[in-house]
Amino acid sequence: MYRNALQLVFVRPLYCLLFLTVSFVVLSIAILLPHIGLIKTLWQYESVTVIEIGLLVLNLYGSLGTNFTVLSATYTVLIAVLFGLQITLLTHYIRSVRSKATNLANVGASGIGGLVSGFFGIGCAACGTFLLSSILVLFGAGGVLAWLPFGGEEFGLLGVGLLVYANHLLVKKINAPLVCAS
Amino acid sequence: MEETTQKQTNPYLIPAAILIAGAFVAAALYFGGSTPTPVAVGTGNNQPAVAQQPEPTGSTDAVRPVTSEDHIKGNPDAPIKIVEYSDFECPFCKRFHDTMNEVMDKYGDSGEVAWVFRQFPLEQLHPVKAQRAAVATECAAEQGGNDAFWAIADGYFADPSTGNNRTNQDVLIPELAAAAGLDADRFNECLESGKYDEHIQADIANAVETGGRGTPWSVMIGPDGKTYPINGAQPLAAIEQLISIATDNQ
Repeated sequence: MYRNALQLVFVRPLYCLLFLTVSFVVLSIAILLPHIGLIKTLWQYESVTVIEIGLLVLNLYGSLGTNFTVLSATYTVLIAVLFGLQITLLTHYIRSVRSKATNLANVGASGIGGLVSGFFGIGCAACGTFLLSSILVLFGAGGVLAWLPFGGEEFGLLGVGLLVYANHLLVKKINAPLVCAS
Repeated sequence: MEETTQKQTNPYLIPAAILIAGAFVAAALYFGGSTPTPVAVGTGNNQPAVAQQPEPTGSTDAVRPVTSEDHIKGNPDAPIKIVEYSDFECPFCKRFHDTMNEVMDKYGDSGEVAWVFRQFPLEQLHPVKAQRAAVATECAAEQGGNDAFWAIADGYFADPSTGNNRTNQDVLIPELAAAAGLDADRFNECLESGKYDEHIQADIANAVETGGRGTPWSVMIGPDGKTYPINGAQPLAAIEQLISIATDNQ
């Protein structure tokens, strides 16, 4: 089922490009967002060239190895790939059933849920700098992180699970085209 | 004949919704980051005390000037200073400590870069132990000066058993203090006195003022006084590139 659907979609170079682009953008957001302050600061200094900023950004991608645990780096990459797949499959499916009424609510909800949950868990995992801690602290519940067995990384794993489910639903729909049974 | 009553929906609604949700998440990550992590820090004798929260400016220009009171590795008059706010129980601080030692191996001897260490124990993530380790290094500095401070700090991070609040401090801290040649009685008295709590609070407050909301958090001060935020445990290549930028653009 999966092989058939993936072959159907990825036979077209444009979809391959879409998949790679979306996955790269999501991964870049996860890795670079904690450093947006530094990039903005450099941008404001007129003497710093765009090439210097570009080189620094390239080096900052290395923080996937230093600023993440093995677990968080793994699910960060997985979420980026699964979300790229989700958008690609969804685009293919919508284009193929463009004028027909269809219910994609489950797929959409799972996809959005997966991305949101994933982003709660991902991002810079350095102590206390990830999104979840900021939100919990707003509600005076920062200590919850110490209580969670994986210190909040559960949300990243949940995100992977939801995205896998959303992709599974889409593959099923791609394999079951909207035709009237004779 | 059966009438079709299904609504025609815009086929691009769901992908658009997903992308909008992604944008919201990105915005939440970005703007959520402007909220500093409040920290409640215990005193030396483990009595909890809520840290005084400064107004967060989020500006690296708020970094407290480097003085002889600071713990400095390298040339105190170096044109580039990297002020690090660190937590001894944070595993990412451990990684960044190694990176900074590599930076000092490369730029320290020539006097180009100085490493300034300030305390940023995150009590909510690493209760009691992060603060106790910070106090231990301050007590070491009181008795043995800068060398003793770095001996304890380097030794603490180098020990494979430290981090994530799992350190057996009852064994490790006395061992490190003895290895640094400190008087055990004086050192223990200092540890329990609470005399450095205020100093550590001041470091925490300055970390938050400069925009730090987690550890390791660092501010690089360039030769011309320009400041650069360094969030988290950056790889050596990124730090080297930043040093190059600060050197070239004065």
